[in-house]
Amino acid sequence: MVRTYQQYGFLSNIRANYFATRLDATMTLVFSGLILWVFWNLLNWGALNAVWSAENRDLCVGGGKGACWAVIDARWRLIMFGLYPYEEQWRSAIACIVMVGVGILSCVPWFWNAKRISVLWISGFLIFYVLMRGGFFGLTPVFEQNWGGLSLTIFIFASVSLIGMPLAIMFALLRRSELPWIARTMGLIIDIFRSLPLLAIMFTFAIVLPFVLPGWMIGDKLYRVIFGYALFFACYQAEILRGGIQALPAGQEEAAKALGMSYWHRIGYIVLPQAFRNALPPTINQFVITFKETSLVVVIGFFEILASGNAAFGTSEWSFAHVEVYFFVGLIYFIFVFALSRYGAHLERRLAVADR
Amino acid sequence: MAQATAVNIQNMDKYYGSFQALKNINLSVDKGERIVVCGPSGSGKSTLIRCINKLEDYHSGSINVLDTALDDNLDNIDAIRRETGMVFQHFNLFPHLTILENCTLAPMLVRKQSQAEAEEIAMEYLTKVKIPDQAEKYPGQLSGGQQQRVAIARALCMKPQIMLFDEPTSALDPEMISEVLDVMVSLANEGMTMICVTHEMGFARQVADRVIFMADGQVVEEAEPQTFFDNPQHERTKAFLSQILGH
Repeated sequence: MVRTYQQYGFLSNIRANYFATRLDATMTLVFSGLILWVFWNLLNWGALNAVWSAENRDLCVGGGKGACWAVIDARWRLIMFGLYPYEEQWRSAIACIVMVGVGILSCVPWFWNAKRISVLWISGFLIFYVLMRGGFFGLTPVFEQNWGGLSLTIFIFASVSLIGMPLAIMFALLRRSELPWIARTMGLIIDIFRSLPLLAIMFTFAIVLPFVLPGWMIGDKLYRVIFGYALFFACYQAEILRGGIQALPAGQEEAAKALGMSYWHRIGYIVLPQAFRNALPPTINQFVITFKETSLVVVIGFFEILASGNAAFGTSEWSFAHVEVYFFVGLIYFIFVFALSRYGAHLERRLAVADR
Repeated sequence: MAQATAVNIQNMDKYYGSFQALKNINLSVDKGERIVVCGPSGSGKSTLIRCINKLEDYHSGSINVLDTALDDNLDNIDAIRRETGMVFQHFNLFPHLTILENCTLAPMLVRKQSQAEAEEIAMEYLTKVKIPDQAEKYPGQLSGGQQQRVAIARALCMKPQIMLFDEPTSALDPEMISEVLDVMVSLANEGMTMICVTHEMGFARQVADRVIFMADGQVVEEAEPQTFFDNPQHERTKAFLSQILGH
């Protein structure tokens, strides 16, 4: 290959890019100094001066200069499992791992057909439910009210996405219906749901719904909240998908029609695959927001991971250690959301092959 | 030879809102006949051809395709579309599918062919349009001329009895027009019923049985190519031909 640009050495590159003028040099020095200072302090606080484990809190409180990771050591089971009974927490751990495993497996292209993906998710949810709820195979029953921590967060996120996505597709298609009254009604429903705060929706589904529904339809509070959240998710995602569909040239559907393909074939094989690809960045965005907003279920009394974290430093013994606990919980959120974002970026690169 | 009618359009009108796009169209096309439709832009020629497989609705009159009435009956529409292939100005290949998948999708879904069977037929037609080696690529990796040949192959894979061409060469770079026209000529020579909206007058001279000239939503003149080009009757036709052939 012919190189069309002049290659510089490492040092002359640095000089050219960061020290070209006096202003450049000053800014480089000031900002790199600032960054170093912040990182040095973080390192000191988080690692060098930190107390990693302690027999009791007093060993921690004395130092005061570093982080007290001993709180995580002492309270991690409360953070990870919430109110779930102590002796049964292994079930919650396995359920959590199963759910994450199902999530990871569904990123593998081999599972990308209707049959495999539904078998995967249905068995994933079944295993999760049997483990968490118990009452089968000699497992002690644990009611939904006592579920908590990371497995609850993941369960809510997975259920909302799984109920919400098919609803979103349905909403988006109805919104584009050729019959004006269907399209307008759907548009109105979407606009109403989007105008309400998520908190109000969760509250309504948890507290108000039992008064207006027949008894057999009520179900546990947890499932009502999940359903309300899924509707909320679906309304946003439907608009994202509609954007993806509208970005398609009219010729795509016309070509499919001209080949004699039916409505559902056109939607399933031509429109949706391309719409999802067009809408991939905002869809990943929507998943990220959905994951983080699971923490709102705390208002109706569920101990998902952030609420369990609050409980972990809620005793007088550990009340000084809230920064460390939030740091830990934040790290867990970060791992999930960052992995999701990177997977989104990977998908974009993969799908871009066809766009060359 | 006993000729059967492939397409029969009678007294057909079409409106866009209050604008009348097609006025009292009468057109009968026999099986095996090659028709070229030409005319200035906005004359309704694309609209006409798109009415034949109901990509556009018409408002009065009647259309019969292969003795099936093209009305609001969805079964009839599907039946007609299965037998009618269409090639578009902008190719309209499915960008998320490979060339081979573009060709096999509809036969598998609509004709219920097995994958092996559909792929065999697809490769046969891709060979015919001279791009079997591109089968695994995506449309975006092909040139315009290649894409249009794939679009023709995709339509042929459904084994249609009628082919509709809607300005198939208008979006192509000049040096790619002939490769597409060659495919269309060979298709015509095999006896395919063809209705082509095109400005390629050389193609019309060479293969058309009849040339139809449209202006302002009406059929102005209809003649064999010899007569049409050498002795046009109508003022509008003369003006159009002098513009399109004049330089």
